[in-house]
Amino acid sequence: MSAALPEGSKPFQFTGTANEWFGIWIVNLMLSIVTIGIYSAWAKVRTKKYFYNNTFVEGRNFDYHATGGQIFKGRLIVIGALIVYQILLTAVPPLGLLLSLVLLLAFPWLILRSMMFNARMSSFSNVRFGFDGTTGQAMLLMLVYPIGVLLTLYSTFPILDRAFKRFSIANARLGGTRFAAEFPLGAFYKAFAVAALWVIGVSLGGAALFGISIASFGSAAQNAETDPTQILRLISLAYLLFFAAILPAAFIYQAMTRNVIYNNTVLEGGHRLASAVSARMLLWIALSNTAVVICTFFLMLPWAQVRLARYLAAHTGYSLGGSLDDFVTQAQTTGNAVGDAFADFEGMGAGLPM
Amino acid sequence: MVYGQTQHVVMGAAYGAGASRRVVAQLTVTAEWAELRDAAGMVLARAPRNLLQFDAPIGTAPRKVTFPDGALFETSDHAGFVGVTGQTRGAVLHQYEAFGPRLIGVVLACALAAWAIWRYGLDILAAIAIAATPPALVAQMDRGTLQVIDTTMAEDSILTAADRAKVEAVFTKLTAALPEDVRAAQEFALLFRNMPGLGPNAFALPGGTMVMTDDFVKEFPDPNIIAGVLGHEMGHVVDQHGLYRLYRSLGSAVLIAFLAGDVGPILDDIVLEGNVLLSLSHSRAQEREADEFGLRLAAAAGYDPAGLAVFFQRIGEENGADEGMEWLSTHPLSQDRLQRIEEFIKTLPQDQ
Repeated sequence: MSAALPEGSKPFQFTGTANEWFGIWIVNLMLSIVTIGIYSAWAKVRTKKYFYNNTFVEGRNFDYHATGGQIFKGRLIVIGALIVYQILLTAVPPLGLLLSLVLLLAFPWLILRSMMFNARMSSFSNVRFGFDGTTGQAMLLMLVYPIGVLLTLYSTFPILDRAFKRFSIANARLGGTRFAAEFPLGAFYKAFAVAALWVIGVSLGGAALFGISIASFGSAAQNAETDPTQILRLISLAYLLFFAAILPAAFIYQAMTRNVIYNNTVLEGGHRLASAVSARMLLWIALSNTAVVICTFFLMLPWAQVRLARYLAAHTGYSLGGSLDDFVTQAQTTGNAVGDAFADFEGMGAGLPM
Repeated sequence: MVYGQTQHVVMGAAYGAGASRRVVAQLTVTAEWAELRDAAGMVLARAPRNLLQFDAPIGTAPRKVTFPDGALFETSDHAGFVGVTGQTRGAVLHQYEAFGPRLIGVVLACALAAWAIWRYGLDILAAIAIAATPPALVAQMDRGTLQVIDTTMAEDSILTAADRAKVEAVFTKLTAALPEDVRAAQEFALLFRNMPGLGPNAFALPGGTMVMTDDFVKEFPDPNIIAGVLGHEMGHVVDQHGLYRLYRSLGSAVLIAFLAGDVGPILDDIVLEGNVLLSLSHSRAQEREADEFGLRLAAAAGYDPAGLAVFFQRIGEENGADEGMEWLSTHPLSQDRLQRIEEFIKTLPQDQ
């Protein structure tokens, strides 16, 4: 977890401000609510445009080109399918089960379309991104690998995670220029081990300090039915475990792997990326953002989002291997907005990791 | 090109169609024509003004304009850009987004509109969806749900014929006491199941299928109690609570997914849990509504409406004094509920 970007690389620049973004955000929100969600498709475009347009490399910015109409149509189709699915699930349960299976098989395909769509709709310096992942790869990564991870009791999670990150980046293009992504597996296992050690260390330390033992956790769970005060005890223990052990561990893993990913991503022609985020800062930003947002009834959410974007940009770097003048947009399949809407609904960010 | 007194030229950068090569350029616009020139004065693109595509302004991000051949001009000189192009698409929205006291009004409008949607909007949407749902489909949903219940948690009833007949007599009297229009629009069916995992319980499916557990009949043989509970379940059916809940939860899930978008780490979980807590309060309101329907129906059919109160009292005693916190529950607390029921009974006509 280095604190500084490597020698010779310059940071990304984020020029958005909390005031400006607040105005856009609140008007987006109002129009979305007043139109019972219809405007949210256009709001999404405006949001993405704001953050992309304000991110600069060498004085050139990113842009997002999907239209509200495209997003809206995709969402309508997803909502319609969702309603039909729900109704069938209750009306004809056997058919519903079959449909769940179909949906499971369609899932990787939809996410892949979403990744293609997002890449195609994003540009840097007037050149569109592209994404060439195949359905076969997506099926393997989203259906087959996860089964292996479960069977090995999560011990192979870093392998899956690394494979998925490679899939997302090595298949991406800026115009016709490919990204090369070779991530050392050892680094992913190291991040995983540090995160796991954190969870174990905090749990043991907490047990020693506060006299909370696994046995008392177990007995609280057992007595929960007869003694309701045990439920509160159980809930507070779970929260303690979440905030002290699991959440920081997640940020440790995220920060360490993000750095590895960016530091090993090269754009053909020798442009290198870099990352130097620290788990401590990410955790601090996430926790303090949450506190501020809740205390201000979500009014400071735009401030929190700009703060995170600024931190990430300042700790993401690049070093040029030549001119940025030589990228050219390539023709490619666009993917579709249905996949994008599906990813939105599932709460999955399926764009390029930024 | 005709140059007037005012500025018609703005400096910025130009790109060729789909290419990242960037050159310093100036954009000149007249009433009819637009022209892009590089620093040496060479024309890069030229087109009738009405064929240009102006990107809507957003914050202080660079302004962009695309020529029909794909050439792109961008500039951070906002005043200069507006001076050249005049007001373009999206200018009004941009004005409204400007940070200032006016946004306080927008915040208030947001809060008011969100409340109105949660309180009325979702119900109106659900009502439209319910009206569009064919009755045959609702009946099929009953059959489907029953199929799932039968395969996962219910066994055939082991009640004696006499026990069943007693409950069925109450059921017949209740349906006869329903208002004419309700009876014409809604069919009811009463089924018995042995569901040891569920204890003394009764529930209704949206299409009018009602299920009573064997334990219920054994533990509460009093016809007044049976009438109160069946009446309560009929209330859920008549007011279509099941369908409302289905459509409301679908609606709010979709709204949250698309409205809240990416609120960021930790916060998205909080938004989802907030939605669950709010929907619980709606579910408690439905229980109260069904209570009142059941009390009215039981009284109209000649039963003592206090039967429902006796039922909740017994259930409350079994659960013990400590019931936890109401806002975490789908059902109102028995204590409050009892009080409400007793007060409502006083308002019923005393004609028995």
